[in-house]
Amino acid sequence: MTRRFTLTPYLFLVPALALVATFVVYPILAVIFYSFTDFDIITPAEWVGTANYERLIGDPTFWKALTNSAVYLVATPTVIALSVLLAIVVNRRLRGIQIFRALYFVPAVSGSIAIGISWRWLFERNGMLNSILISTGILSEPIQWLTDPDYVLPIAMMLTVWAGVGYYAVIFLAGLQNIPEELYDAARIDGCNRFQKHWHVSLPGLRPQIVFVAVISSLAALKVFDEIYVLTNRTGGVLESGTTIVFYLWRQAFVLSNAGYASAIAIALLLMTLVFSIGLVRVLERGSETT
Amino acid sequence: MRNRTFLTMALVAIFALAACTPAASTSPAASVGAAPSSSAATTESEAAVASPDPSEAPPPCAAESSQEDPVFEGVEDGAEITFWTYFLSPTFDEYIQCTIARFEETYPGVTVSWEDHQATYLDDYRNAINAGTQPDVANLSNNEGWVREFAQAGVLLDLTENAPQEIIDQHFPNLFADNLVDDHSFQFPWYQSIAVELINTRIYEDAGLDPAEFPTSIDELPGLCQTIKDATGTLCDIRLTVNDYLSQMTYEGGVEVMNEDLTEFTFDSPEAVAWLQMYVDMVKAGTVDTDALTTALDRVALLIFSAGQAAFYQTGPQLIRVVKDNNPDLYENLALAPLPLGVSGVTQPTSMAISVKADTEFPNASMALASFFTGPRAMLDFAKIVPIYPSTPAAFDDPFFSEEPELIEDSARPLAREIIENQRNIMPPIPEKADVNDIVRQAVESALFADVPAQEALTNAVEQANALIR
Repeated sequence: MTRRFTLTPYLFLVPALALVATFVVYPILAVIFYSFTDFDIITPAEWVGTANYERLIGDPTFWKALTNSAVYLVATPTVIALSVLLAIVVNRRLRGIQIFRALYFVPAVSGSIAIGISWRWLFERNGMLNSILISTGILSEPIQWLTDPDYVLPIAMMLTVWAGVGYYAVIFLAGLQNIPEELYDAARIDGCNRFQKHWHVSLPGLRPQIVFVAVISSLAALKVFDEIYVLTNRTGGVLESGTTIVFYLWRQAFVLSNAGYASAIAIALLLMTLVFSIGLVRVLERGSETT
Repeated sequence: MRNRTFLTMALVAIFALAACTPAASTSPAASVGAAPSSSAATTESEAAVASPDPSEAPPPCAAESSQEDPVFEGVEDGAEITFWTYFLSPTFDEYIQCTIARFEETYPGVTVSWEDHQATYLDDYRNAINAGTQPDVANLSNNEGWVREFAQAGVLLDLTENAPQEIIDQHFPNLFADNLVDDHSFQFPWYQSIAVELINTRIYEDAGLDPAEFPTSIDELPGLCQTIKDATGTLCDIRLTVNDYLSQMTYEGGVEVMNEDLTEFTFDSPEAVAWLQMYVDMVKAGTVDTDALTTALDRVALLIFSAGQAAFYQTGPQLIRVVKDNNPDLYENLALAPLPLGVSGVTQPTSMAISVKADTEFPNASMALASFFTGPRAMLDFAKIVPIYPSTPAAFDDPFFSEEPELIEDSARPLAREIIENQRNIMPPIPEKADVNDIVRQAVESALFADVPAQEALTNAVEQANALIR
């Protein structure tokens, strides 16, 4: 029996495809083109071949930014662990638990710039943290946290974890509520304590969510920008201590008007992200097949 | 199994593509705001000039004036011109609109379409050039280097060649000659600011110091900061011009940043090392707030001062309103002092300009509008509603500039003409300026925070900068 071809479903797809083509595909193709040019936005692009990519290889700031972005990935397992823990804690039928769930979701719906500004106030020389540490005698003089190269990146990572935990916990919470209660009953009957119950039942049951969250939070960590922008007052931190790959890309394009070079950075980031994502999913999927 | 793997990898590829397209934030929940732009950084450093604030007194456009508007011959009939301003709306809507109305009355048949752009001004302007929708007349910054950048790109009209001499002559010569490209000017100077030192008299006097004896030269600042820190624990709120280190080096340190032929950078001279070492010593001594020192945002450092956490701060008088709004108590204990001079002995012009599009369809109408806004009458009107100063000598003849000021923010007014007349742009045109500044920034930071000797840091930077321009 042969299938009759119908145009209708494709016509329904056209608007969405047109949007994707205009706002995703075309910009990517344009960036690929501009990565082979010297382009400052106001004068016509000049073809330079692979010069931007050769410059990338020898650019110490690019490698520093890449290293900072790689370090930022440490935020991913941290946010997963804390989110799972939070989801387990709030997965109870207690009075007022809905309010608590709503409260920990607040950072996720707050603007990242507003959060960044609040955290700046926290870590400024005359901010709350220094005030507390000095008043309790832990410090005798305030620390300039946001201009100390050792602290900028960890503070930004803490901000990202804090802002993301609530959102990912909701995903894990939904996953926990889909785990059949019988599995917990069976575990209890087998003599599992609370920790073992969660280790042997909850975590395996959350594997699809963990894979999903691992991928999206890793990608988010690789393209972090807002936190760095606000915490470092648009400088990227002294000695590039907070400069991540996307922040460096932005600086090249919009501060230094090197849009061609910024495009090359963007393509490098695209390829690295693609390879990383595919590798991560394969590793995690392989883990699920062996268990 | 294979289908599942394929689907997973397809999903991952889509995520990866989405991750690499312009997107929101690290938080997966939608965040606010598109990616901010460089113009925001320059916006803040231009706060001294770009954010004047109206006083309460006269109407924006006086019905009668001691000054005249310039007359421009040959304005195209039926011209429709676009005019962009930078961060002037909504505060100065009335002033801009009534000045445009008077212009259109003077040149019937010409219509002006006005837009004000703010934090994204520089990006909007660049994108407009790229898109072919560059405004005919645009407010640009001189000391941020915008005029020079766009003049060198060939998108601004050469006013030395095209503007009538009597129109050019209405301005201070040193201001019209600001940011020349190949000895030609591409801007009419507009409103000027004067940098002063705001002094928190409480902290200053607690440190046993007299505000009337504020240092007159830059090299006295390290000693002053040490005294203030020892006596009160307060750190100095001093900024490095992170968008233009070479300029600060030149004016403060008297450094020759390029050789005579302008073919090589020379900012690793003993003068440059001495200038950088001054800041290194202050950072090592812990007498400066390093956040204020390295911020790209003037507003950050101003807010530290207006919170009463610094003894003094360099800014424009028109920003005293920020202190007045945030901390009325500090406003009552404020003093002003002239800016300490650097080794160069001159102060840098702090000015906004108006430029004309190179290939505008209506060059005479565009130049007429630009010269109208920068003419003596419009400048006098503007100076009466906010503490900025005219770029035209004639406007200073009005009694307004010889009146005794009542408010502290107006106290620079009687001295303004002399100060502005003596301002000089002594910077050479810097090739690849933005990239060179980035190289210098890294060198300065390595000396300040990574214990790299100042000489070594600057010499390495000179080598990199010279390699860039070869």
